[in-house]
Amino acid sequence: MSEPLERQTRDGPILQASGLVKDYWMGPSRLRVLQGVSLSVRRGEFLCVLGPSGSGKSTLLHLLGLLDRPTEGRVVFEGQDAFDQPKRWRDRMRNEAIGFVFQFYYLMPDLTVLGNTLLPAMVRTSALSWPFVRRRYRGQALEVLKDLGLGERVGHLPKELSGGERQRAAIARALVHGPRLLFADEPTGNLDSATGAEIMKVLARLNHKGGLTVVMVTHDERIARQADRVLHLQDGRLLHGA
Amino acid sequence: MEQSWIATPWVVVALIGAGLVALGLVALVLTTSVYKHVICAKYLFSGWKAVVPLVSAMPAALGVFLLILVFAIMDGFAQDTREVTRGTLADIIVDAHFEGLPYYDDFAARIEKIDGVEVATPVIQTFAMIRVKPRFPAVRATVQPCLLIGIRPGEKTQVGRFQQYLERQQVPENEPWKAALFPADQLLTVPPAVVEARREAGLPDRPGTIVGKGLVSYPAKEIKPEKVDLRAVVILAWSVVGLLVLGVAAIGYRALRRYSRTTSAAGLAALYLLVVPAIGVVLLAAQGLALVTGDAEGPTLSWPTWTAAGVLAVGWAAAAIFVFLGRERRFFWLRPVGFMHLLGCAAALLAFWSSGLRYGPHEVAREQVVDNPVVPYGGEIVVSTIPISAKGAIETEVGGVPRVNARALAIVDYFKSGFWENDASHVYVDFSVAQGLAGMAGRPAAGPDEPAVPARASQIQVKIRDPSKSATIVERIRDAWRRFVAERPDAAGMVSVNTWETQQKTILGVVEMEKNITALMLGLMFLGFGVLIALISYVMAYIKSRDVGILKALGARDVGVGSLFLGYGFIVGLLGTAAGLVGSLLMLHYLDPIEVWVNQTLHTDVFPRTTYYFEHIPRHLSAAWCVGVSLSVLALSTLASLAGGLLAAIKQPVETLRNE
Repeated sequence: MSEPLERQTRDGPILQASGLVKDYWMGPSRLRVLQGVSLSVRRGEFLCVLGPSGSGKSTLLHLLGLLDRPTEGRVVFEGQDAFDQPKRWRDRMRNEAIGFVFQFYYLMPDLTVLGNTLLPAMVRTSALSWPFVRRRYRGQALEVLKDLGLGERVGHLPKELSGGERQRAAIARALVHGPRLLFADEPTGNLDSATGAEIMKVLARLNHKGGLTVVMVTHDERIARQADRVLHLQDGRLLHGA
Repeated sequence: MEQSWIATPWVVVALIGAGLVALGLVALVLTTSVYKHVICAKYLFSGWKAVVPLVSAMPAALGVFLLILVFAIMDGFAQDTREVTRGTLADIIVDAHFEGLPYYDDFAARIEKIDGVEVATPVIQTFAMIRVKPRFPAVRATVQPCLLIGIRPGEKTQVGRFQQYLERQQVPENEPWKAALFPADQLLTVPPAVVEARREAGLPDRPGTIVGKGLVSYPAKEIKPEKVDLRAVVILAWSVVGLLVLGVAAIGYRALRRYSRTTSAAGLAALYLLVVPAIGVVLLAAQGLALVTGDAEGPTLSWPTWTAAGVLAVGWAAAAIFVFLGRERRFFWLRPVGFMHLLGCAAALLAFWSSGLRYGPHEVAREQVVDNPVVPYGGEIVVSTIPISAKGAIETEVGGVPRVNARALAIVDYFKSGFWENDASHVYVDFSVAQGLAGMAGRPAAGPDEPAVPARASQIQVKIRDPSKSATIVERIRDAWRRFVAERPDAAGMVSVNTWETQQKTILGVVEMEKNITALMLGLMFLGFGVLIALISYVMAYIKSRDVGILKALGARDVGVGSLFLGYGFIVGLLGTAAGLVGSLLMLHYLDPIEVWVNQTLHTDVFPRTTYYFEHIPRHLSAAWCVGVSLSVLALSTLASLAGGLLAAIKQPVETLRNE
């Protein structure tokens, strides 16, 4: 921590978590989902957190992805303690530096594939400046969609796509703004094995060719084997050192 | 009137303020993230789901509609009551009650010298019984109470709007030339032709009277030649069926599309909708043909009918095309446009329907109390009174029996103010005739033991130049009365000097109280609508909580996502307010034909003339009230949307993005 921030940011891990604890309260009783998880994610790494259902994988992902606040512990993203920063900073990081892919895609049902892909750009752009940047963002989105094999489906609504196409659309939405870190929460959990394998190929390609850092959680060991490093999570604890 | 209202400084300030607020809103909309506009537009106009915001707009629409409609009618009651009360009376009334005021001409002359007073005239007012013998031999005579009013017609017309309320000798404000036809000082004079006719019939000469029309009319339902065209109702029903078919087609279209992507149920619906206006136009043409060729004396179709029918036809056609084209995703925005057109068609239907009522050839039954007098012009009534002495005692005959003065009078006109309370009680006679009947004529000295008794009047009615100074002039008249009594001690008596408002405070108070209670109830209803809008907004945000989670995961801020629902509430409120405003204005404009239709259809009488005072449902539309209500409901619906906005703002994304 005594290294200069700039060097730490450039050379150090992109994400560090230390002593993460997450409690949920159900009336008077406390449910401790994470019990002091510490890990570190290197730039360009494909990290997989493997664990059975209910082990706290998704909760860990939400904390690492700055979607939720830990009860205890720290998350350091690119050298900044995320929960010491104002909420606005975390919102900005999610919009500009982080991408999410969920098991159930979570596409906006009323927007087309292109509209969903443009959504992160729309979140950070005002209505006044949108007409001037729309063409650029649209070009980027179409490029990403074409790259993911959805070039012919840009005008379709999510309900008109297959499961694999929906997940690819979700990946396109997560990639269009050029994130430095991609979180994938059981990205193949809702797909058949062939489609799941196809999605994993996409993620692997993005990691190997694009140098994108990927953090994925899954309960499927076969899927996890495709990652550079696998961490086992059980009952809210990591079984092997981070 | 309208221009002067607009030119008032506070309206100018309000308009400038509204302009600044609008500019601020535009700036806010332009500088906020574009995703809010896109998502909000999708929530509002996304395919068949566009029905949801339309339903959500209903409370706001209903709120504006009821607030404007009910208050316009209540305000109409209050305004018309004041208008007629003031027009029938005078600005200031010097009231000496039944015992009367002696030397009234002297005192009236003194009042006229007071600065600000225009005219003062003595009036006799006493309760009496009127005997009416209908012209139909089989019908027995009726006797009912009335208010006998003795006037000097030339002066009475100067202190109020008396002549405007006469049926035969009326001089409307916009037709002052008629004053030459009906000289004010001869309003109670029996015309020579009537005198001649009576003499030929062997009837004696009688003094003239202007009798309230409600006193000499049948209090029963009569057929009024109100024109109603039932074919308009047929066309209306046809159009409603069209609307229903549209709904069914919409649902069927959705259902069919699940099984076959090539099914074109919407196309069939569109085809049907294109046929509907065509049939409507054919029916209209047939109606026009029948009216023009079938009945030479009947009414003809006028431009409102054709215009409304045209709007109806074009609206249906456009709606059909828009809904049809809206099937294509790139034209998704055409569907809400189609729906809006359907709403426009509904408005056009209302207009067309009412014009059909007006111009069609059909007659409907309507309760008609004051338009069918049972005693004709020139006919006789008999008025009986019990005279009251100057000391306030009932005058008696020898032996202590109360004296009754009765006199037959010839009807020279009917009094019809539209205010039923007056029209069913007032009987106007010449001042001297009333003096005789009320025992106020006075008598000369009959010897040293029986000094002269001065003639008396019940009231002196005063017209002033500036009504806003009535309180000051009332005080001056009171001072004048004290000085008058000091000079003539025998004139002393219980005299009250009041403005017309104080004089009629009972009836005006009731109307004002009704208006206030209505305002209170509407206020409570207003809050109820607010709660309803808040609930809808909350449910909307709850249903869309998944979207909220997605947006926040993509970096949207809590405040931003909350304001998305606030904006949604604002737009829904705007739609509802516009619909309510248009609906209430249309309803007020077509209130009379609608009343006729409701009475006829439901076999009821929603506005019985014997219960309410006016012949027609009164209404007074205040532009300030319309603007105020619209802005209030808009503000309320936006504020109530805070419920949804807050829920969206505080919703944690992980709550909605958990794996299922």
